[in-house]
Amino acid sequence: MPANSQFIDVRQGLKQALMQVQKPARYTGGEYNEVIKDPANIDVRFAFCFPDTYEIGMSFLGEKILYELLNRHENWWCERVFMPWTDMKQKMEELHIPLYALESKDPLTKFDVIGFTLEYELCYTNILAMLDMSGIPLRAADRGEEWPLIIAGGPCVCNAEPMADFFDVMQLGEGEQMLQDICAEVEKAKKQGLTKQQLLENLAGIPGVYIPSFYDVTYNTDGTIHAVAPNNPHAPARVTKAIVKDLDSFVPPEHFIVPMIGAVQDRACVEVLRGCVRGCRFCQAGQIYRPFRERSPKLISDSARALCQNTGYDELSLTSLSTSDHSQLEEVLDRLNAWAEADHVSLSLPSLRVDNFSQSLVEKTTKVRKSGLTFAAEAGTQRLRDVINKNVTWEQIERTCTIAFREGYTSVKLYFMMGLPTETMEDIKGIADTAQKVVDLYYSLDHAKGRGVQVTCSVACFVPKPETPFQFCAQDRRETLREKQKYLLSCVHSRKIKVNYHDSATSVLEGVFAKGDRRLGRVIETAYRKGAFFDTWEEYFDYDRWLKAFAECGIDPDFYNYRAMALDEVTPWDHLDVGVSKAFLIHEYQKALRAETTQPCNRQCNGCGANKLLGGPCFDYGKNLV
Amino acid sequence: MTTVRIWFEKRGMAAYISLLDLQRVMHRALKRSGLPVWYTRGFNPHIYLAFSCPLALGQESLCESCEVKTEEESPDYNAWADALRPALPEGLRLVRVGPAVMKMGKIEAAGYRLTVPASAAAALDAYNSAGSVQVEKKTKSGKKQLELKTWIPCVDYRVEGENLVFELTLPAGDQVNINPALLLTWLEQNHNVPAWQCHVLRTGLFAADHQAFA
Ligand code: SF4
Repeated sequence: MPANSQFIDVRQGLKQALMQVQKPARYTGGEYNEVIKDPANIDVRFAFCFPDTYEIGMSFLGEKILYELLNRHENWWCERVFMPWTDMKQKMEELHIPLYALESKDPLTKFDVIGFTLEYELCYTNILAMLDMSGIPLRAADRGEEWPLIIAGGPCVCNAEPMADFFDVMQLGEGEQMLQDICAEVEKAKKQGLTKQQLLENLAGIPGVYIPSFYDVTYNTDGTIHAVAPNNPHAPARVTKAIVKDLDSFVPPEHFIVPMIGAVQDRACVEVLRGCVRGCRFCQAGQIYRPFRERSPKLISDSARALCQNTGYDELSLTSLSTSDHSQLEEVLDRLNAWAEADHVSLSLPSLRVDNFSQSLVEKTTKVRKSGLTFAAEAGTQRLRDVINKNVTWEQIERTCTIAFREGYTSVKLYFMMGLPTETMEDIKGIADTAQKVVDLYYSLDHAKGRGVQVTCSVACFVPKPETPFQFCAQDRRETLREKQKYLLSCVHSRKIKVNYHDSATSVLEGVFAKGDRRLGRVIETAYRKGAFFDTWEEYFDYDRWLKAFAECGIDPDFYNYRAMALDEVTPWDHLDVGVSKAFLIHEYQKALRAETTQPCNRQCNGCGANKLLGGPCFDYGKNLV
Repeated sequence: MTTVRIWFEKRGMAAYISLLDLQRVMHRALKRSGLPVWYTRGFNPHIYLAFSCPLALGQESLCESCEVKTEEESPDYNAWADALRPALPEGLRLVRVGPAVMKMGKIEAAGYRLTVPASAAAALDAYNSAGSVQVEKKTKSGKKQLELKTWIPCVDYRVEGENLVFELTLPAGDQVNINPALLLTWLEQNHNVPAWQCHVLRTGLFAADHQAFA
């Protein structure tokens, strides 16, 4: 371990710091179900870092899954680390308190592995801040044998390149097996006294593991990538994503740590399925989590019940990209309803879909609580919905709203995107028209006197993401988006309709990093040195600071997000294989331009290639699946 | 319906759990314990749970209490304690469970043990010799001037290792509430005694005439 004379003892320092910051319970640990072990008996110490606040990090299911899986190994200890809020960060720096793990209060330099989750692009600067607060050199190349192994996982690894300089190891795909394999290699390396280089070479053989330093990137004169090629014989030419083939092969987490202060998602949740059958062309999650896999109703219900008993939560949600696509959802709900009420647990289904929302489903989920109804319509006209392959029709929205209004719902939230490929002002007007039709529908039905309807349109800016059919597209410029927004507001004529819109420079940056390459590492570091962190927080985000960082590094951000990519261009992520083939993405993109839709996977296989990860077909089409 | 009083310690890092959070923490602990606590009726039923005399953030206590109800006529309090003890998070240690003998409104005072650094001796002497000590107290209706000497005429401290220790009994409850932190703030503002080096431990709750609250 490197000497950290610059820091003081954490527990001592906290006595002072905690009296002087907001919400000190974020920094204390000690929550029910946290895992405490004796470091003397531990072979691998793992610091699970979430580069955002405690309240946000504690809401992520991925961390809960891996925390429990790693801690099931008696001689490994996984602990949690979050980004301190600005007041605490300042206090810690002032008092020379290093960043520490909540369980042991040990600084990160005491750990063997430090793992960061890359959930969204704008948390990249927080990762650098967290390393810096630990006195750890930011760049992998600057870290010798004495430093912990710094690794990353999470959805953003599907284009890992902008952060490649900072990590020793990046994990592509699902961590359940991969992370345990990595820790096993670390344990072996420690016992055998291997060098970091030897360890990395062993790790390179684990499915899904990407060692950025084992690859060289060469560029064409126009700035595009010429090739990404391995420079180490242990590194595969393409890294293929790791997946869990059978979701019933491991028990979902049943011992969530129960936060004292309210987390953003402070309730029990069980993942009912992974992947999505829909293939919406704008949606990265829908592509990178392929293929679709379900968990059995019995395991879902049994785990959910155990989880509620072990945590004391009285609210349970079923989570996934598209919960109502579970082929046995009715059975899942019947099993849950069999015990939920007696156990004082209420159920919520966050991602109901408009197209298969049935009367009995509404009844099963509204037994306990009646919250607002939300629909992701995504685009305002049928043509554009066909372009993006959002297979939702007005008739379906109408049918669902009719059921819901009859059940007593009075507020509807519609989600839309703006800046989609091929979009015209006609499509923007379609957003307002759709909302108006929902309002008119409400008043055409019998409704309680004096009870009005509220339709909220939440409009997000579309950001083209890698590994989607729209990865080739340029992002709409801010000026264009502003014009579209103005036009949308001019199309709304009812006070029953509310439009929420975020015009922010953050989505420009998100677009740049989503499709960025290794050259952006310098920009991220420069912006961090200039004071950028908590970029996801409007009040701390400073676009000009970023523009200065780009200028200082001589890099034009527009090259990444405002430029359409040629279909045969080598992308920064071509060597990272999430299962879906590039040929499929191109094919889907071309269909999009013709406004042709694609069937969901549970109706027909469209040959995306992801089934190779399962070693067989994704569905048994002989059975009636839909 | 029986009203049950739960006594617990709030120590160490648990001192940083705010009252609002404590309600949630206890609610979940009760749920985990599986005890037959009474739920309020209505569309969104929840466990009936009431706390007495909330402690300020950062202070520790040996005698926090809350009340729940149960339809059991004569609960087995030892069994209740055994069920609840393992359901509480670190720092909230169960002391005992028993019948709520008095109503919460009966609380009139609380006892505290304060520990300050030895270097604060001169500051405490200055307090003791001062004729009047005006401090500012935050109330719901804004800030208010308060004569601290009315409530703490003199601090009778003793030396314990590197610290000075003294006991205070101060009004607590619905009517008047005097937080011992008022003294610590005065020491910090007037004599540079760092408040974070001072420590407050609540040691008892009392009804009228210094009778232990039960
Ligand atoms: S292989 Fe076919 S069924 Fe499987 S995810 Fe791809 S398109 Fe869907």
